[in-house]
Formats: sequence, structure tokens, C-alpha cells
Amino acid sequence: MTVQIGFDSAWQDEFLKRIDDDGPWGNWELYKLAVEVENHTTIPDFEGLQAPKHLPNLTPLPHQLEVAKQVVESMNGKAILADEVGLGKTIEAGLILKEYMIRGLVKKVLILVPASLVSQWAMELNSKFFIPAVAQRKSYVWEQCDVVVSSIDTAKRNPHRDIIYSLDYDLIIIDEAHKLKNNKTKNYEFVQNLKKKFCLLLTATPIQNRISEIFNLVSLLKPGHLGNESAFYENYKKDSRSLNDDAHLKELVNKVMIRNRRADTGIEWTKRHVETIPIEFSQAERELYEAVTELRGEGDWVSSSQFSVMTLQREACSSREAVYFTLQNMLKRQEQPSIAFQEQIQYLIKKVEAVQQNSKAQKALELIQNINDKVIIFTEYRATQMYLQWFLKQYGITSVPFRGGFKRGKKDWMRELFQKNAQVLIATEAGGEGINLQFCNHIINFDLPWNPMRLEQRIGRIHRLGQEKDVMIYNFATKDTVEEHVMKLLYEKIHLFEKVIGDLDDILTKLEFGSIDDHLVDIFGRSASEGEMRIKMENLTSMIQFAEDMKEGGLNAATGNS
Amino acid sequence: MQQQEIHKFLERYFHANGCEIIDKGPGYMTVQLTIDLDKELMNRPFYWHYLEKTGGVPNPMQLTLITNQQLAPAHIKGEVIHFGSPRLHQIFHSARNLAGYIRLYENHREAPGMQVPLRPWLGMNVRVSYQCDRKRDVFKSIGLQLINGQMVESFHDRLLGMSLTPKIPDYSFTLSPLIMPGSGVFRVANFIKSVIEQEEHLWADEARKRWQKDLSLLEHFYEDAEEKGESYENEKAALQEQYEPKINISIINGGLFYLTDSAV
Repeated sequence: MTVQIGFDSAWQDEFLKRIDDDGPWGNWELYKLAVEVENHTTIPDFEGLQAPKHLPNLTPLPHQLEVAKQVVESMNGKAILADEVGLGKTIEAGLILKEYMIRGLVKKVLILVPASLVSQWAMELNSKFFIPAVAQRKSYVWEQCDVVVSSIDTAKRNPHRDIIYSLDYDLIIIDEAHKLKNNKTKNYEFVQNLKKKFCLLLTATPIQNRISEIFNLVSLLKPGHLGNESAFYENYKKDSRSLNDDAHLKELVNKVMIRNRRADTGIEWTKRHVETIPIEFSQAERELYEAVTELRGEGDWVSSSQFSVMTLQREACSSREAVYFTLQNMLKRQEQPSIAFQEQIQYLIKKVEAVQQNSKAQKALELIQNINDKVIIFTEYRATQMYLQWFLKQYGITSVPFRGGFKRGKKDWMRELFQKNAQVLIATEAGGEGINLQFCNHIINFDLPWNPMRLEQRIGRIHRLGQEKDVMIYNFATKDTVEEHVMKLLYEKIHLFEKVIGDLDDILTKLEFGSIDDHLVDIFGRSASEGEMRIKMENLTSMIQFAEDMKEGGLNAATGNS
Repeated sequence: MQQQEIHKFLERYFHANGCEIIDKGPGYMTVQLTIDLDKELMNRPFYWHYLEKTGGVPNPMQLTLITNQQLAPAHIKGEVIHFGSPRLHQIFHSARNLAGYIRLYENHREAPGMQVPLRPWLGMNVRVSYQCDRKRDVFKSIGLQLINGQMVESFHDRLLGMSLTPKIPDYSFTLSPLIMPGSGVFRVANFIKSVIEQEEHLWADEARKRWQKDLSLLEHFYEDAEEKGESYENEKAALQEQYEPKINISIINGGLFYLTDSAV
């Protein structure tokens, strides 16, 4: 079969014109230089990476180079990059992008990332890769710039959406792609309709996905790779315990996905030290907690008011401000609050007012003063965040707040302030994703998220490539509260901190137990009593233990077979 | 390209463009740009527009380039140039841009008094790109004698061994081409194409296989759908762009060369 051959005729037209006009003619020395340039820039082989030669200031790690090579040479430029948090997926994506640009295979590039990461991506591509990436701020940028970084939420809205659909992109990169696991969402549909010649999906947590999520993600990248929807579910969902099928699925997925684990990289990681710090309630704090806990028995008004007792209990473990805020909201939500309801709230507010000090905050202060270095405090509640900022200020400790809802520029600014001027950064849950703070090596978990994956993401902000010191993690847990239960059951019993959580989820998914995430929501969100919670928790624990045994058993079987 | 080569290259580039190198030392150079090169490299159209409107005194910039940070003295401030730096690639691009077309005469050393005929040659340097989802390039330099149609390869290398000048030397005259330059370009293009057609194109067969494979996956994915819709068409078009093997011949530069009989 012959190959179509194109010939660039523009040169010829100009040449004939210059003959007619008797010039102008170029300089012989420059003419020779142009040929020399050509000899230096032609790439005689299909294989091999050119990008490293162009990046003297960047020393990619072996696993990153390997990923880039594999994507270009054997995955045809369509891949899910699923390294664990902190292994440098951005570097890998940058290398691949650079390689394609040098070879002239890619010119127009769309990079979709969470809003908080837009400037960081643009900056890294410019400074590390000399790629003139532009953060999308004005709508003309789409057409005028070749490499554009934007958030998916901006891109999917008009007028941007129509402009993007009218353009032909050579490469599309999507960061935090696990957010596209649900094929019924607008974001999914938006990405599905993009024309993807080359495409990279970056995610740190694809393994926690259920089988349907894997299917959706892969189908976005390469429709049909896992078959069509009906055939896929017929083969895998109903019969997913058959190991042969699983192995086959795994092999298929591995053709489009690369996942490096910390342990595989051969890099010496700094250590994680986890310390649980038990907190003793003051008398007034204890009374507030008990008062909130008693609500459970007080008839049905609580359950009908959207706020669970569990929420209030958790808040009571964080700060009185958090409780107060929620109580106020409860009152406001009721259009015509009954007298009894108002009295109940007033009674609780009295209890809130009786609390004069925050035992956790005291402990945090003590710790921060001892550490005498930069510290990140994570809390789930904005009220606590505000209180802590005020509290630390009383003791002359500078801090900056960080929230997911901050605009991009403000996030960058806060990060900068923290790095240069402040000792403490106080982040709420939503702020945990998408900033890199490896210049800091102390984290205080003021209250604990009830999903270990989220905790991993918090730690991943600082325990990543570029972290030079051991990472210290302090977990606060108030004694004799739900918090302590979580701590005991989840974090100590299962030793989730030291583990790579992905492993466990992987196993649970295989065994069709569902993801840890779902179990936790069920246990802590829907349990009617602490007794029920404990039983469910123990159930989950034994499931995990079983899964671990299975894994070891599986390994043994595998070695036995070979 | 080694840093030393880059340094030499830059010197030659600025020299060829008539720029004075006002300071240089190990690992760095400072260049006084000419007006033309300032316009070419410094990207400040508003300044030049303003100046032309107001009739002010042009003040082209100086440019300090550091080719070796270890060797360059610490007090020298400038742009660090390496093989991947955008500035170097801008200069690469500029070299190609400024010397796309040329006409030269062989500076022969025949005894004075004898009139020497110079034969017209068309020289073309081209890049042949083989592209599917991957890409490789081959450089070719072809010369075509415009009287008898003789075609030679590695023409540029032959030129490098000659003394060439932009002005016709004394005691020389040029012979008129029998083949017009336009049809000369056509002949060269056809020659390159015929060479390519004789090559084995395993890479293209492989690419087509990959294309076909992904295409059948796509068909399978949409098998059950009654209305395949836009995303299907998009994917299909994207697969074509990704895999379809293509060969492109682009011209780097070329021109007319008037050479003695014995030259080639």
C-alpha cells in the first residue's frame, strides 16, 4: 500500500517570484547555518526520547523517563498516568508533551486541571519545560495560544465550550481525572465529546474506583478498549470473582494505564512519623459533648432537620465555634421553629457559651511552639479554621487560611505568604487538594477525616518528591468520643497510615466488597447508635483482614504455580 | 549540540547578520544588535512602530548570552542558552527564515583573459518527514543541473567544498537554463517522491494495523447504540489524525548556483 506524499509548494512560489524580481537573496553563511540547524534538529528515529536533551535544568527520575517512553512508543500517546501521589505525574506529562512538541506531532494543546492548579501547571511548564503554556483568563486565549491551561468548570461553560469544540487539539491532558468516573455528569460528557488525538489522563486514585469507574475512565480514553457497556458488565460484573477474568481485565487495563508505586521507584523516601495525641476534654467541653450526644434520644426533630447528631459530635470535638455555627443554621432552617426546638437550641448554646477554652487548640499551640518551624493544620470546619487563626494570633503566631473555595490567585498568594511570611497554614478539607507544600514537614490533623483516602491526600501535599526531611504527622483525638473510636478502629487497628491505601481498596474491589469510602459513609453516616457503628466497623475490619490474607494467599499461590 | 558548538553557532549567526560582538569571554558574549536583527529577535513591534512614526533615533538593544554558566564570570548577567532554550530555537528559526533563498556563483581561479562559462544548478535542501502517531525525519540535499538535467544527491556537501560568492566573478558568463526553475523544482520533487516510493514502508503498515485495531474497538463500543452521535464521529476522525501514515516533503532552503564544468 502506498503512502500519501505531500509536497510543500509555498517555497516554490516565493522562489520563482524572487527570480523574477532578481532577489533579495540570502547570505551564504546563514544559508549554511540553516542547514546545520536542520542537521541538529532532525530526528532520524521513530523511537527514543528527545525531550531530555532539551531540558538541562531538569533531571527526570528513571521511572518518569520510563513512563514517557512507554506512552510514546507502546501506548500510542493515549494513557492513564496513575502513579501514586507525589511521584511526579506532572513531570511525566510534561516530558510526553515536550517530546511530541519537539517532534512536531503536537502543536495545539488543552490542559484541564482543578482551578487551584491552573497557575501552577502553567508556571511549571514554562519554567521546567520551556513550554509557553498560558493560563486561560480571557476568552481570546483559546484561539491565540497553542498551549492553554484551564479548569474544566470554566472550559465546559459557554462561550468557552463552543470555542473549544471548534478547535482541533492535538493533545489533551486532564489532571485529577478520577473526577470523571461517573459517565452521567456534565464534565464527563464534555470530555467525551472532545476530539482526542493524543490524550493523557492523570489520577492518583484510580484503584479505589469500582469496576464501572474503571470502565468509564478507560472508555473516555479509548472507547471500546474494554468492550461496549453491555458486553463489559456481562463479562466482569456478574462474574468478577473468576480470577481468570480478573487477570484478563487487569492486563487490558494495564495496556492503557501506568501506575508506579513509591516502593517500585527505587527512590529513598523520607520517613513518615505518625503520632497520635490524645486530648482530654475540659469539664465544660465534656458537658457540651454529652449534651449533644443526648439529642439522639430526644425525639424525631433532629433527624428531620438534616443535621445528624454525629455531625454535632464531631464538631464538638473540633471547636465550640463549629457547634455554634451549626446550631444557628439549624434554627434558621426551620421556618417556624417550635418552642421546644428553640429551647433545645438555646440550651445547647448555653453549653457552648460555658466552654471557655479549647483543649485541642491549647495542645496545638504547645506543639507549634515546640516545633518552631512551619506547620500545616487541617480541620474539617471553617468555624474552627477562623477560631484557630484568631487564637494563634493571641500568642503571636502568624497564620494564613486556605480553603478550596478560594480563587486561583488567592490560593497562590496564600501559599506564597505561608512560604515566606507565616508559620502556620490552616486548611479546611476542600483546600487539601492541589497545592504542593513540600517546603513544610509538619502536619497537625486537628480533626480527622473519616475517609483514609482523604487523609492520604492531606499527607501527600507535603510527603512528595522534593521533600527533604522526614514528615511528622500529629493526629489529635479527643478521649471518650466518636473521634477516638475512629482513631482506634480505623487508623490504629488497620495501620492505614503506614500502608498504601490503594492496595487495600484494590483488594476490596476485587472481592466486591465495595470501596472503603462507601463503607465509611455508611458506618458513620447511617448508623443509628454507637453500638451499630462499632459492629459495622468491626465487620469492615475483618473484611480488610480477610482481604489481606487473600492477598498473601494469592501471592503464595502465584509463586507456587510458577 | 554541545555548549561549545552552540557558542560557535551564535558567533557565526550574529557575524553573518552584521552584528558586532562588543564583549566576549569564556562562556558568554554580548552582541550589539542591528536594527534588522532587533526587529527579528526582540519582539518589540510597538517600539519600532513608535520610532518610525516619531522619527526618533533608533536604539537597537544589546543582548548578552551565556553559553556556559560555569565558565562565565559571576557578574555577567544575561540569558542562559542551551539546546532547549526558546531563544536558541528562535535563532534557529530565524536562520532558516533569513536564508530561504539564495543565488551564488563559483569563485573560480581560471587564468584571467579566458571567459569561463558557469552552468546553472538548482539546489534544494529538504526535510522528508515520515509521520503517523510517531515521526522521523530525513535530510536530503538535491542538485539539478538546469541544462542537461543531471541530478546529484548530497549537493550541499559538494557546495561546502567550493568557494562561492554572491557577485558574478570577473571573466565569467552564465549559461541560460534550458530547464526553467519552476519545472526544475517539479523534477526534484518527483525524484524525491520516486525514491520514497521505492522504500519499504513497514512503519506505515504497522501504523495502519494500530489504526484498524482501535477503529474496530470503537465500532464495537458503539455497536449497540442506534444513534452513534457526535462523539463517535469525533473519535473516528481523531483516530485518522493519530495514525494515518503520511510523508511530507518540506523545503528548508534552496536556490540557484552557477558553477564551472569541473565543479560537480
